[in-house]
Amino acid sequence: MSARRERPSRAGWQLLARAVKDQRNWVVLGVTAGLFWTGAKVAVPTLAQLAIDRGIISRDHGALLEWSLAILGVGIVSAVCTGLRRFYAFGISYRAETDLRDRLFAHLQRLHFAFHDHAQTGQLMARAATDLLQVQSFLTLIPITIGNALTVSAVVVILFVTNPGLAALALAALPLINVVAKRFASNIHPVSLELQQQLAEVAGTVEETVVGVRVVKGFGAEAIQGGKLRTRVDRVFERAVLLGRMRASFMPLLDFLPALGLVAVLWYGGHQVLSGHLSVGELVAFMTYILMLIAPLRMLGTIIAMAQRAVASATRIDEVLATHPAIVDRADGQTLPPGHGELRFEEVSFAYLPPEGGQLSDAGMPVLDRLDLHVRPGEAVALVGATGSGKSTVARLVPRFYEVLGGRITIDGADVQDLRLRELRRAVGIVFEDTFLFSDTIRNNISFADPDAPQETVEWAARRAGLHDFVADLPDGYETVVGEQGFALSGGQRQRVALARAILADPRILILDDATSSVDPTKEHEIRAALAAVMKGRTTIVIAHRPATVALADRVVLLDRGRIVAEGTHTELLATSERYRRLLAQSAREEAGSTTPQQDSEALVR
Amino acid sequence: MMGWGSGAVRDEEKLSSSQARQVVRRSLRMLRPYRRQVTVALVVLVVYTLAMLAGPLMVRLGIDRGLQAHDALVLNLAVVGYLVAAAVAVVLGRTQITLITRVGESFLRDLRVRVFDHLQAMGMTFFDSQPAGRLVSRMTSDVDALQTLVQQGLVMFIQNALLFVATIVVLVVLSPVLAAVCLAAMPVVVVASIRFRRDSNVAYLTVRDRVGQTLSTLQESLSGIRVVQAFAREESQNEVFVSHNRAQLDANLRAVRISARYFPVIELAGIGTMAIIVGVGGVLVHDSFITVGTVAAFALYLTNLFEPIQQLSQLFNTVQQAGAALKKLFDLLDVPSDLTERPGAVDLPETGELLVEDVGFAYDGRAQVLADVNLAVRPGERLALVGPTGAGKSTLAKLMARMYDPGEGRIGYGGVDLRDATFSSLRHRIVVVPQEGFLFDGTIFENVAIGRRGADEEAVRRALRLIGVEERFQALPQGLATAVRERGSRLSAGERQLVSLARAALADPAVLVLDEATSSLDPGTEADVERAMAGLMQGRTVVVIAHRLSTAERADRVAVVDHGELVEEGTHDQLLADRGRYAALFASWAGEQQRRHPSDLAEDAVVSS
Ligand SMILES: Nc1ncnc2c1ncn2[C@@H]1O[C@H](COP(=O)(O)OP(=O)(O)OP(=O)(O)O)[C@@H](O)[C@H]1O
Ligand SMILES: Nc1ncnc2c1ncn2[C@@H]1O[C@H](COP(=O)(O)OP(=O)(O)OP(=O)(O)O)[C@@H](O)[C@H]1O
Ligand SMILES: [Mg+2]
Ligand SMILES: [Mg+2]
Repeated sequence: MSARRERPSRAGWQLLARAVKDQRNWVVLGVTAGLFWTGAKVAVPTLAQLAIDRGIISRDHGALLEWSLAILGVGIVSAVCTGLRRFYAFGISYRAETDLRDRLFAHLQRLHFAFHDHAQTGQLMARAATDLLQVQSFLTLIPITIGNALTVSAVVVILFVTNPGLAALALAALPLINVVAKRFASNIHPVSLELQQQLAEVAGTVEETVVGVRVVKGFGAEAIQGGKLRTRVDRVFERAVLLGRMRASFMPLLDFLPALGLVAVLWYGGHQVLSGHLSVGELVAFMTYILMLIAPLRMLGTIIAMAQRAVASATRIDEVLATHPAIVDRADGQTLPPGHGELRFEEVSFAYLPPEGGQLSDAGMPVLDRLDLHVRPGEAVALVGATGSGKSTVARLVPRFYEVLGGRITIDGADVQDLRLRELRRAVGIVFEDTFLFSDTIRNNISFADPDAPQETVEWAARRAGLHDFVADLPDGYETVVGEQGFALSGGQRQRVALARAILADPRILILDDATSSVDPTKEHEIRAALAAVMKGRTTIVIAHRPATVALADRVVLLDRGRIVAEGTHTELLATSERYRRLLAQSAREEAGSTTPQQDSEALVR
Repeated sequence: MMGWGSGAVRDEEKLSSSQARQVVRRSLRMLRPYRRQVTVALVVLVVYTLAMLAGPLMVRLGIDRGLQAHDALVLNLAVVGYLVAAAVAVVLGRTQITLITRVGESFLRDLRVRVFDHLQAMGMTFFDSQPAGRLVSRMTSDVDALQTLVQQGLVMFIQNALLFVATIVVLVVLSPVLAAVCLAAMPVVVVASIRFRRDSNVAYLTVRDRVGQTLSTLQESLSGIRVVQAFAREESQNEVFVSHNRAQLDANLRAVRISARYFPVIELAGIGTMAIIVGVGGVLVHDSFITVGTVAAFALYLTNLFEPIQQLSQLFNTVQQAGAALKKLFDLLDVPSDLTERPGAVDLPETGELLVEDVGFAYDGRAQVLADVNLAVRPGERLALVGPTGAGKSTLAKLMARMYDPGEGRIGYGGVDLRDATFSSLRHRIVVVPQEGFLFDGTIFENVAIGRRGADEEAVRRALRLIGVEERFQALPQGLATAVRERGSRLSAGERQLVSLARAALADPAVLVLDEATSSLDPGTEADVERAMAGLMQGRTVVVIAHRLSTAERADRVAVVDHGELVEEGTHDQLLADRGRYAALFASWAGEQQRRHPSDLAEDAVVSS
């Protein structure tokens, strides 16, 4: 996303064309209504002219009544058709917009982690909001524009038929409206785009300041943020004023040009009336027709700019839709073979690659380097290593969030790349190091993997995660809404909800990525006891930094720069690996020395 | 981009007339600096509208006095008059638009800055009570609503209103009888417009609400995409989204139906009135009440009569919206900050003792979190705060940096109550690295530089070097210019904390409070960083909060918080010897090891006996 290539706008046109084609019945109806509307509308001045000439000037009451009633009749047709035209035009565009948004959402759901790593939420939101809005407003204009074009042609024909000389004179200035409107729209377009961009940056500053308010206050960075905002607000001001100036120089012109036409008609036509070549009614009709042309001509001018904008938006939308999900089921996707969760990494190499089209310099260094790891069914392995050594990366590769660059990963003998994604991910339960909870009830958060789970199951999972007592004490219990809009849970409590969520999923392989880092030792102790039950007979990978948690595992694997450098039980490694001791900041002596009071206090706890 | 997701609260959107008056009064007050421009703009606007009206009058003159009376001179005069009026309108129109945008945009700039400064001056209690999305939407969708009004609506609104009124006046002057006849359709139009205004406002609010829902669903599923995919729940997320999207479509179509019913009424009224003018006007001409020119002028003025009504009805939403937005913004500005700098506030001294005296605290309207806490931290001391989850450690940390004011008691530094200190000295001397570390969507450099105003590259590098991570980040392909991406997702959990810590090193305060700022680091790196920080903070004060008791072990003194009270205090060894709460906590910390390795236990038993 970040490095946007210029996609040919053909893709955008195709997207728009397809959207229109999907709605073709409505388009036909809308255009038909527009046709009738045009006919009625165009008839009015002619009828009025006839009424004036044959009714008023010739003092014929009967004719006057007839023509007046004719105007009224035409008015009814025009009114009905204007309503229908509007209804169809918007119906088309809103339906198309909705369909496109559905597609966009479904597609985003399927796109791989690497895509989302690089995409900015704000940008994706803009696709679904602003860009779709552009497309929608353009689609609305299609039937309306067709109607307008017809009106213009009809009026021009009528004018020329009635009085070619006068018509030529009156219309001479009018194409300029079109030209001016077009220039206006295309001049203003880049500036308004810039303004949008500046506004987005203001929004970005506000958002990061509000969301990161604790950091801003903690470091007293108010002045920095305030300065940033002022610069951006000034830029908005500048662009907006420039936009105003452009509008100021174009808009009055758009009013002036038709007035020129009218003046010309009044002058030339007036003299024709004086010389008896034209009736007063015809003169008035002429003027009314010219007034009628103003709005459609202006619109025809802007539609071109609107179309350009809509195509640009459609192209951006298409860019997302055209990104292929990199991680999908193979055509011959296998079902997960039965087993008890034997997990193997065979010579696995991995690096975070930039998304297609990104710069290669963005490519990270290799993160995993021909890693071999064998976790026996039901075994609990602790993955230990320094910050940035690749522990979380190992965890992310098991459910195939990313594709390995070399080697393979198997679960019960099957390569994860051959498995159906849905089954694979059902079989692997992961607790991420960054807890994410949905703005929903605690119950729904826990039962995310299986929304139909009965309350007992939810409570069972919560108990295992050391959460039940706390939840039961809340006024609304499991129905308490959490997340951004809801009840503020402490860091430890949030982690435990995420833990319960993974436990409820009852996966074959459970991965806990530093899942208890914010939990106090006593609570963690309690969870460890419950976890032991969950882990029993279940393949588990625990990523942790606390010796006590690490000790929970049957085996400890020490990772360093994407390679395994030591393996064994916690005690073995403490005894044999200097690196391991350094990592846990424990010297052999310290370990032995500190146990004396511990053991005593242990008795005290019981 | 949380602004998207703000579901509008309906009641907030409607203004009572007294509220509307208040909003207007206040906006006028804010416009006072621009009084002269506003006056000029209004005068210009009125003259401009009058010039626009002059055109058809000239047509009438030309037809009646020129054509009917066969006077070519008058006709030519009318033509010239029309031309002059049109030219004047161009010039005035240009001035008017420029002036109004300039004033409007200045107003918006002032408003943005004021609201933002106000937000930043608010205490944490305020931020706790408001979802971030709502606050962001104040500065985005609400101010944008005003911007739309300034750029498109305002001029049109005033102009249309003026045009409408002036047209009626002119019509009445031209021919009271025909004007009366002409306004026959007006009641229908007025009733329809009032209904349209009401219905379309409701429909519009519903649309806004639904759009908010759709977008917040999208936003949430984007933030939670990793969880959704991890549990293979894409399909059910899709279903939820499709239903919201469908609801949005329904709301939109309803709004369309409302306008598709209203527009025909106006259209029919317009053409119907044309029929009436021609019919009745014709009869009046026959009776020599009026001239043909008057009928023609009436026909031409018709557009001036019905188009403004239609435009006004459509613009009404924009105006109403902007009014509601302004009210919300003013309401926000009216919330007084609970944390203010006292008049006569003094700077905190360079160094001193951090003293917590009899402090009690409760979050807004909640149960007591801290009670009767007494604590003194000497300069140069390293204090560890430990205790179970929810005990109130982070709360105490936030009080120390005056993110909240204590309900009871006081917190002082170097003998000055924090409430009497200037903000600039307070934020400079006392720095908290909060538990919820937060990386901004920028480069590593920018994220560290937040720590101190005006920090240059060298200062940032020094800070990184100090905690021993300069090489690590320098080794990245783009070095310190590497974008960390949203929430720092480009980095590992520990690396993110290292960036936060580098910020603290850059800030170089007198008191540093680390609230679990190293919880994701491996203990080895943690110890290194702690050592580096200790070197930096030589002679100054460090308060660390940690669940890893190895950190507590290294501190000079440990304070145990439990259920909002300070239950124990002393050195690690003393507290272990006391066999109290800390000893129990410590036992859980390393206890499991022994149970799983009975051999160790046996060995220890021998040692301890
Ligand atoms: N999405 C990503 N894109 C690019 N690089 C990444 C990404 N995530 C992690 N990295 C890099 O890959 C390396 C390994 O990261 P990983 O998250 O696996 O470390 P870790 O062992 O889990 O560390 P920690 O203990 O801090 O969580 C780090 O150097 C990190 O900067
Ligand atoms: N912003 C808040 N609004 C209301 N209540 C809060 C808020 N922050 C914390 N609390 C409540 O105050 C109590 C103390 O919270 P605090 O964050 O100080 O605990 P802590 O000791 O830091 O816990 P942890 O170890 O989990 O970080 C908890 O019961 C918590 O639910
Ligand atoms: Mg990690
Ligand atoms: Mg805390």
